[in-house]
Amino acid sequence: MHALDKKLLRDFRRLWGQSLAIALVLACGVMILLTAFGMYRALDDTLAAFYERNEFADVWAMTEKAPRPLLTEISALPGVQTAEARVQEYLMLDLPGRVKSATGLALSLPDTGALPTLNVPLLRAGRLPDPQATDEVMVNEPFAEANGFEIGDTFEALLSGQKRRLTITGTALSPEFVYAIGPGTLMPDDESFGILWVPQAMLASAFDMSGAFNSLTLSLSRDAQEDQVIEALDTLLEPNGGTGAHGRDEQASNAFVTTEIKQLKNMATILPPVFFGISAFLVNMVIGRIIALERGEIGLLKALGYTDVHIAAHYVLLAGLTAVLGVIIGWITGGLSARWMAGEYAQYFKFPYLIFNVSYDAYAISGFLALLTAAVGALRSAMGAARLPPAVAMSPPAPPRFKRSLFDRALAALRLSQPSMMIWRSLFRWPLRAAFSAIGLSLAVAIMISVGFFSYSINSVADIAFNQSNREDIVLLFTKERSLSALEDVRNLPGVMEVEGELFTPVTLRNGHLEKQLSITTRGAGASLARSIDEAGRVVEVEGPGLLITTRVAEVLRLAPGDPVEVEFLSGRRETFTLTVAGVTEQFFGLGAFMTREAMSRLTRSVPQISVANVTLDPRQDNAFNRAIKDTPLISGAVRVTDMKASFDATVEENISIMNGLFSVVAILITVGLTYNSARIQLSERARELASLRILGFSNWEVSYILIGEIMLIAALAQPLGWLIGYGLGHLMAASFTSDLYTIPMVLPPAAYATASVVVLGTALASVLLVRQRIDRLDLVSVMKTRE
Amino acid sequence: MPETVFHTEKLVKTYRTGGAEVHALSGVNLDLFASELTVLLGPSGSGKSTLLNILGGLDHATSGKVMFRDLDLTVQSDRALTRFRRDHVGFVFQFYNLVPSLTARENVQMVTDIAPNPMKAEEALERVGMSDRIDHFPAELSGGQQQRVAIARAIAKRPEVLLCDEPTGALDSSTGVQVLEAIREVNEDLGTTAIVITHNAAIQAMAHRVVRFQDGNIASVSTNETRVAPSEIVW
Ligand SMILES: Nc1ncnc2c1ncn2[C@@H]1O[C@H](COP(=O)(O)OP(=O)(O)OP(=O)(O)O)[C@@H](O)[C@H]1O
Ligand SMILES: [Mg+2]
Repeated sequence: MHALDKKLLRDFRRLWGQSLAIALVLACGVMILLTAFGMYRALDDTLAAFYERNEFADVWAMTEKAPRPLLTEISALPGVQTAEARVQEYLMLDLPGRVKSATGLALSLPDTGALPTLNVPLLRAGRLPDPQATDEVMVNEPFAEANGFEIGDTFEALLSGQKRRLTITGTALSPEFVYAIGPGTLMPDDESFGILWVPQAMLASAFDMSGAFNSLTLSLSRDAQEDQVIEALDTLLEPNGGTGAHGRDEQASNAFVTTEIKQLKNMATILPPVFFGISAFLVNMVIGRIIALERGEIGLLKALGYTDVHIAAHYVLLAGLTAVLGVIIGWITGGLSARWMAGEYAQYFKFPYLIFNVSYDAYAISGFLALLTAAVGALRSAMGAARLPPAVAMSPPAPPRFKRSLFDRALAALRLSQPSMMIWRSLFRWPLRAAFSAIGLSLAVAIMISVGFFSYSINSVADIAFNQSNREDIVLLFTKERSLSALEDVRNLPGVMEVEGELFTPVTLRNGHLEKQLSITTRGAGASLARSIDEAGRVVEVEGPGLLITTRVAEVLRLAPGDPVEVEFLSGRRETFTLTVAGVTEQFFGLGAFMTREAMSRLTRSVPQISVANVTLDPRQDNAFNRAIKDTPLISGAVRVTDMKASFDATVEENISIMNGLFSVVAILITVGLTYNSARIQLSERARELASLRILGFSNWEVSYILIGEIMLIAALAQPLGWLIGYGLGHLMAASFTSDLYTIPMVLPPAAYATASVVVLGTALASVLLVRQRIDRLDLVSVMKTRE
Repeated sequence: MPETVFHTEKLVKTYRTGGAEVHALSGVNLDLFASELTVLLGPSGSGKSTLLNILGGLDHATSGKVMFRDLDLTVQSDRALTRFRRDHVGFVFQFYNLVPSLTARENVQMVTDIAPNPMKAEEALERVGMSDRIDHFPAELSGGQQQRVAIARAIAKRPEVLLCDEPTGALDSSTGVQVLEAIREVNEDLGTTAIVITHNAAIQAMAHRVVRFQDGNIASVSTNETRVAPSEIVW
């Protein structure tokens, strides 16, 4: 081994603390890249494989009731490869040992006894129901697991008002329900929502659907134009009460999963550059200082005949070793965490298997980026070292010129102590270095704020969504639309205190070429249970004939109050009207539009109708109520707002605390990397100066004050900038998480800023104190003896 | 007539610091001969180090000419000067300039790693009487020992010229004598041309020739008829 290589290794060992601090920041970037990328890949591959192997459909359509022979016509539409008709109904379930009701989505299985050709359920246990049976059912595996069902267990279901005991013959997973979300709910709840695969004959006879279907799935040929097929399909189904076909993008499960995958991809591309940037700066700072301290050695190497390339390479390699350390740590932790997180996701989403291909390219890319980062960070200093003329390198650098300036006079006027003076002078002597350190620290603060706001936002979402907007205890879903008299039936159920009805009507809203499918919610005037709340927290009432829309709808369709908007009804007489936007309101989940009952019934020239009833309950009669609704034919399901809030809180809180924890670690690592290195550099630069002070009789702590003071001053100055960047970054994050599925508002109370600052300042202080110990150990004699 | 190794003509070096111009060298004409040991004497600031740096290819002249045998150093690129240093020149500095993270042997190996025809590091250390400290780090050596390692490093490549800038400047007299002894041996045994800068007039007694500097130019040159061994020099 060459002597120069030995020097390299020994230097690396001597600087291990600083190298490790940099390596950890670098490792963070590598880890996040690997994790996000690995998870993204795993989910994407798994989803694609599941969709392909199990024939995930391309287009879905619902009708009220269409004759089976229509299927031939649909199959003949250009671009359609396979068309499959089925009957689908929501059923009220009565599960053994469970007081509360559950909802089942029943899907018919082909008469032939075979599996469906599209959205093929993957059998996990047992067998398919016998096509002739009237009491057999296959359920989705998560539902069976959540309720502790085994093959052969039974439960009761209400089919058209008739209670039937069904026997579970098998369990399955379906590409259609990777994310299984029940009607009217926000989160999957496997205990209270199940998918039931039922023989066609049994479901059709119960719901008067013999020879007919109400649900259609299509697969398209490779060259098909989806929107043309949808248009043709809508025309065909219109006379049969079609409510508008849609593609994969509006299929609930697919929409959720793909949104999640997109966010992972964002994470893989947005965050790592931040870490690599900070690492490059750290490397630059450290190598720059090492080179300044080793001027003599550089001159010597040159005098001995080492070339510029040799010398530059020596220092770049020193940075390279740090990068290698960072890459190794990052690869190990990233590889593990990618696999672990992908496993978690696979459970959260109901995949039958997980395809985790180690993405060697992600390893290669992250490793390459980390090495590049270090090289870029080191290169400038290393080139500078190589370019030092040997004679100049041999002599010590000229002492920095401290100038008397206006600033000095200001300091003098403040009558600062000498140590304080030294702090301020050095800050202004190397303003660029101070500025870069401050920017780095402000990024640490910003990173904490940018995720820290989530918990505040989500609390505010939960408060507005559950405590202010939806004040009912339970939402009862009717099997079909009812007249207002149904509210009287509900009022007669045990324990019911208040009842209000709402109607959901599927429509397409259009503004020019922009359009969105959503449901208009129709409420009675002065409804007090379910209400709309605007951004300022005020109740927004719909007045007159206009349409109230949510912020997201207003944004997507570029609508403002007073604008006309075209409304095409997708059910009933399928008429198209032009309404006026009466106002805009906030809603965090999904898309929404609201009308008054009077306006709706005048518009559609029909008697007022309702599709759900919002209910408040006397808690003492909870059980009686639950028992009663299980036997009430007109109800297909009950959504408990309190349960929903609880499961929302649990899911979200876990995710948020993981994320907050992760980002705090990241902020801490960045802070340590910056402050530890700054302090070490300060100490080595000022060893003589500080030792002189000690010899002059200053105490250890008085001397330490100079070291601590300067770094903490920079850290303090970094805070406001960090708050500002955090605010901006938070907005970006909120925007990137906002989709048609949910809206993340930006809520940033002072506490969010304070938390970030406390963590960063605390970490900075701890890092400096770690370095400060070296002052106690400062060997005054040897420090003064060594040549500058 | 002995062979000329270095030849300078009207060699000028001017430093410009701030507004003022410092003439470190103002037209030096000097010839140095093969296998000769020359001592450069002169007051502080008279330009000795400046001359040595230019001769050794560490620095560029402002004007004038410097020849190393047939090689005109004044027109060489940095790359060529690096090559020149690597192949022909050994340096010894006042502050021993060892790499603190390398042992005595490894410090010498720094040179043997890149020189075209080096001796073994051990042999070089042996020559300066440092065989028993071969694996010591600089911090574990005395000043004189460090300087001897520095000389071993300088001679390990079998240089044609050995340039020493105040090699004994930081040493007491007996340690200094050991160092001078090492230089003399290299000069005699290997025939290396040696130039030694010193403030110490006593040291001139060991030289073949003595060059005295004053204000950036040569004040006088004298030849020693009889040379004194370093061990007999006291200061
Ligand atoms: N890098 C530089 N910038 C400006 N002036 C310089 C520089 N190096 C040397 N000088 C000036 O050039 C002159 C000659 O310096 P040089 O180092 O050659 O003197 P010296 O004879 O070696 O002195 P000493 O015996 O003190 O080492 C001095 O006046 C010095 O101040
Ligand atoms: Mg000198």
